[in-house]
Amino acid sequence: MKHSFKHFSHYLPLVGMLFFTALAFTQFYYEKTLLIAVSFAVSIAYVVWGAIHHTIHKDITVKILSEYIFVALIGLIMLLSVVFWM
Amino acid sequence: MKTIKLLRHLFVPHASNNYTPRLFHFQSLLIITTVLIGAQFLLRFGAGYSGSVLGYASNISTSEVITLTNQKRSEVGVGQLVYSDVLSEAARLKGENMIANNYWSHVGPDGTEPWDFFANVGYSYRYAGENLARDFSNPVSAVNAWMASPSHRDNMLSDKYKEIGVAVVEGTLDGVDTTIIVQLFGTPSEAPAVVPVVAAAQEQTSSEDFIPSANAQEPDTVDDQTEARKPIEINTTPLVSPFSASKYIALFVVSILSIVLVIDVIEIERRGITRPAGRRFAHLSFLITLIIILIIARAGEII
Repeated sequence: MKHSFKHFSHYLPLVGMLFFTALAFTQFYYEKTLLIAVSFAVSIAYVVWGAIHHTIHKDITVKILSEYIFVALIGLIMLLSVVFWM
Repeated sequence: MKTIKLLRHLFVPHASNNYTPRLFHFQSLLIITTVLIGAQFLLRFGAGYSGSVLGYASNISTSEVITLTNQKRSEVGVGQLVYSDVLSEAARLKGENMIANNYWSHVGPDGTEPWDFFANVGYSYRYAGENLARDFSNPVSAVNAWMASPSHRDNMLSDKYKEIGVAVVEGTLDGVDTTIIVQLFGTPSEAPAVVPVVAAAQEQTSSEDFIPSANAQEPDTVDDQTEARKPIEINTTPLVSPFSASKYIALFVVSILSIVLVIDVIEIERRGITRPAGRRFAHLSFLITLIIILIIARAGEII
């Protein structure tokens, strides 16, 4: 956690990306196509952010990358499961 | 003791799980992913979902609503409804009246009833019914929502109706851009004395809950039209909404994962453990955003 505060600027793109995702779901809840696109985009962007972040810190491993992929995948499934039933 | 050990193994970084909560191991995440996908398959088959259609609110076509309604009727062996221009005009008037007077109900704030719109267009009915939906992005979802509500389903599948009219009206309700679908059913009267009325539930029902509030049964003959318009109290049966089920399953899973991460952060800091892992702050931010989205997520409404 200390790391997070030390490298706060690294987290700004992540926080911004997540903020706009939440915003899209509040403002455009009736536009399924857009929400599906946003769900895919934020999931992919999350994995990319993780890969770049750990590459910068020179500690990227397959295990770490797979952790990001699975968190993103779980998030994507959850978002799509809700969007499809809206 | 075994339970405590198991919980510690699942939730707390410890020597037994190589200092990463078991729930955050590759295999566990894979299982969670599979379970979530499996749950969706179950919901889809359970609800008889016939595939999703993507689209924009403004793309809702009245003819598709009618086609889907007739499809549902065919599936249960009920006769097809004939499109009525007059009923569609009444539906349009009803939708515009709701937008103009800013209400979302079968009865207007001034007491205007659905049947008044039938009268306004000169449609003399033997049986009449009304279904309303708003904020659905496609006709399939709206028709599925109606089908999941017993009172609306009864309207859609009633063999007493011969004609249908549908209107899609866009406007603003309570300051929110809204697309309303008005579906009217009717059977033209041959004998003016017989005027039974069927209405969908007059209590607001959200498609999130799919809790029907009424299921009107029309009498065969009624001498007095006013008498016929009285709502009839009927038993209600709560149903599970696939939307709510998906939402709560997702909320449950994401909450558990968030708890695991919080415990992980606390324990790792407390014990000063160093290990290769993804950033907990990033994962937590992602999961908290999911929780927020899941809480605010809303579907269309039917009444």
